Formats: sequence, structure tokens, C-alpha cells
Amino acid sequence: VRTVFKIIDSLLQQIHFDLSRPHPVAAERVGFLTCGIAQVAEETLVLLSSRWHPVIDEDYVDDPTAGATIGPVAFRRILQYGYNTPVSIFHVHRHEHSGRPAFSATDMRSAEEYVPGFFNVRSSHPHGAIVLSQDQATGHVWVPGHRIRQSIERFQVVGPRLRSWP
Amino acid sequence: MSLGERSKRQSFLGQESDAVLAATTVAVIGVSGGGSPLAQQLAHIGYGTVHLIDPDIAEEHHRHRLIGVSTTAIRRAWSKVDVLRKLMFRVHPLGRVIPHRARWQDVRHVLPACDLVFTCVDGYLARDEIERYLRRYQVPMIDIGMDVARVDGGYSIRGQVILSLPGSHCMRCFGFIRDELLAEEASRYGDAGDAPQVVWPNGTLASTAVGIATAMILPWHSGQTINPYMVYDGNRFELKPSPRLPHLRGHPCTHYEDSVIPGDLFLPRKN
Repeated sequence: VRTVFKIIDSLLQQIHFDLSRPHPVAAERVGFLTCGIAQVAEETLVLLSSRWHPVIDEDYVDDPTAGATIGPVAFRRILQYGYNTPVSIFHVHRHEHSGRPAFSATDMRSAEEYVPGFFNVRSSHPHGAIVLSQDQATGHVWVPGHRIRQSIERFQVVGPRLRSWP
Repeated sequence: MSLGERSKRQSFLGQESDAVLAATTVAVIGVSGGGSPLAQQLAHIGYGTVHLIDPDIAEEHHRHRLIGVSTTAIRRAWSKVDVLRKLMFRVHPLGRVIPHRARWQDVRHVLPACDLVFTCVDGYLARDEIERYLRRYQVPMIDIGMDVARVDGGYSIRGQVILSLPGSHCMRCFGFIRDELLAEEASRYGDAGDAPQVVWPNGTLASTAVGIATAMILPWHSGQTINPYMVYDGNRFELKPSPRLPHLRGHPCTHYEDSVIPGDLFLPRKN
């Protein structure tokens, strides 16, 4: 399955603004992006981003071994939303550089732990994780019926300037 | 013939412009008076994949405005999309033109995969329906249209170019689509006869639409500003930003709510 991730430019700006806010104990911020889905061709899945869910200050854990650690309440909130609403859920964080970002080993290990939880509340939808840089993105998606994760092939920013990565 | 050679005189669009254009997929809904010059220009610029959507065939009464029409096309009752496909192939043989002799509703599945859709259709209802559909899949839409109305002293030619960008203002925000217009459409449209059209305003509007699309994909100036609603006065030969635009600043679109989940409710099940 080929996966295209679409995001409205103003929503992407909102996410960058939110992730740029300093936190009292965490070195970086994270959040969740929920998306609609569409299959536009036999083997092309489009994820249509619709809402940003920032993790509130109180839901971060003081953990000096990681850039950001969030507690179970943060996950419970997004799982509750996913249970009530037919959406795909993507965990999002940012690496502070420009150019194409990459998942670290820690990023991947964490994703393997939390993504199954998304399927517990919404098994019909794909879910995954995204890493932003200051000007690009990369991501992995787990598609229902496919046991292994796949890379998001293309990010498309919809705005006055149409951009796509890679 | 290499694509690089053909694009030398539009190299200001960027070193990667040939590749970006080749990777771009657009659709043109309605390929008659407005859509035919628009499609022709897409071929000249080098857009990679173009879906042409129109159910009609070429007839004698299209001769005055359908770019690419010929006596053979009329005599053999070619579809309009085939007229344009042949024209575009002659201009840009490396491009992929996919003709759909159909109503847009019958081939709607091709639209969500497009980077951008041009609408060159008659009437408000069709525009409203297409905009709703494209918003659902976060596909930008550029609409063009013209009308001729009887006024004191003769006729008035007017038209519009509208960029409906998901996350930004829609045709209802611009006041172009209104419920009362939808209701009155049949009685309002075509005061001068059967949907009056002439070739020159369509050419102006089509060129502007193609320019806007190309500026979105390959901006050639860092300070480029796109006015999303341009109004055309064909009696003064003026095309300028709608006076409504300044009043919309600070007022986001309220017609397509953030709370609505885009796309489809579920994926089709594989058998």
C-alpha cells in the first residue's frame, strides 16, 4: 500500500507553534494528530489530517533520560478521542534541524509500544508516528491487515504553496 | 526532444520545474469555452497528468469557443475530451492525458488523487457540489466562469477566477455561492440567450487560473501573493481582486467546520 499524508498548511503551522513552546520539565513537546482516511486508488491510501491534540503540561513526566516522556493520562485522552471518533491517530514530535528527519532507535521502540494501543480503540483505521523537522517530515504507518509498518511515501502540504516531501 | 530543452524559456520556474510539473496531477472539469484554453495551456507548460472530464461531444455551436475544434471533430462527433486530448498530445507528447467522457460525478474517484482541480462548469449548483466534494479530500480547486447579462445600453460581460483552498475561504465566504443564487439559478443564468460565451474572456480567465496553479506549485517570487477571488469586468477589460477580500481578513471560513472528519468513514474491505 502506497501512503500519502496530507496536511493543511495552517494546521502544520499550528503544530510547529505548539511544539516550539518550552516546557517546565520536558526538553521537547509531543502531541497527536488525528486524520481522516481515503483510498484513492487500488493501492493508494491517503491520510487527511484534521485536528491537532497537544499534550497538556501536566501530562509530561519528569524524565531526564528522554527528550519528552508522557504519562498514561495523555495516552488515555487520545485513546478516548479515537474510541469516540473514527480517526487515524499519529504520534508527532520534532527534531530540531532542517532537512529530512529520521526516527531514532528510541523513537521506533516507543512507537512499537504505543501504536498497538491505537488499534485497540480503532482497529479499522491505520495509525502511526511522524517526526517533523523544521521544514520536512517523515513517518511510519501501520495499516489494518498488514502486520508490518510502512514508510509514508509522500507528505503533501496544502496551502497557497503546494509542497510535498520527499 | 527532451523536456529540458522545451522548457528553457520557462527556466525561471526553477531547476526542478520539469520534474515537479511531470509529477503533478490535475483535473479539468468541463473542457468547453473555459476548460479548453486552460487544458491547452497545461500542455504547453508541461503538466504531467491531466484528467479531462466532460460528457459532451463537439458540435457546430462550439466552434466559436472550443479550442482545438475542427470540421472533422464536429462531423465525426468527437467527444470534447478527445478533441482536447489530441490537441494536448500534439503539444506535449510526454504528458499523460486521461479523457473521461462522463459527468464528474461518475468519475469522482479520480479527483481525490489530484493535486489540484480546475472547474469550468456552468451554474452555481455544480460548483457548490464540486467544492464540497473536493474539500472532503483536501484538494484545492480553481474555478473560472463567465456570464453575459443584459444591462441598460447593451450587455455586460463578467467573470471570476476563484481559488478555493482547504483550510481557507470558500466560495460561500466570497459570497459567490449563496443559497438564494442556487435557488434562482435557472432564472438568472443566461439573460442574453443560451449560456452566452465568447472566446476572449475565457482565454483571460483560463490564463489567470493556470498562472495561479503554477504559482502554487512553482512560485517564482518569494513575495508572491495570490488573490483567491478575482473578478473580471469584460466591458472594461479589467481583472482585479474582489473588493470583498479585505473584509475577510481575520474571519476564517465557517462553512467547512474543523470538526468534520475529512475523507471516507472506512476503507473498502478487500475480498
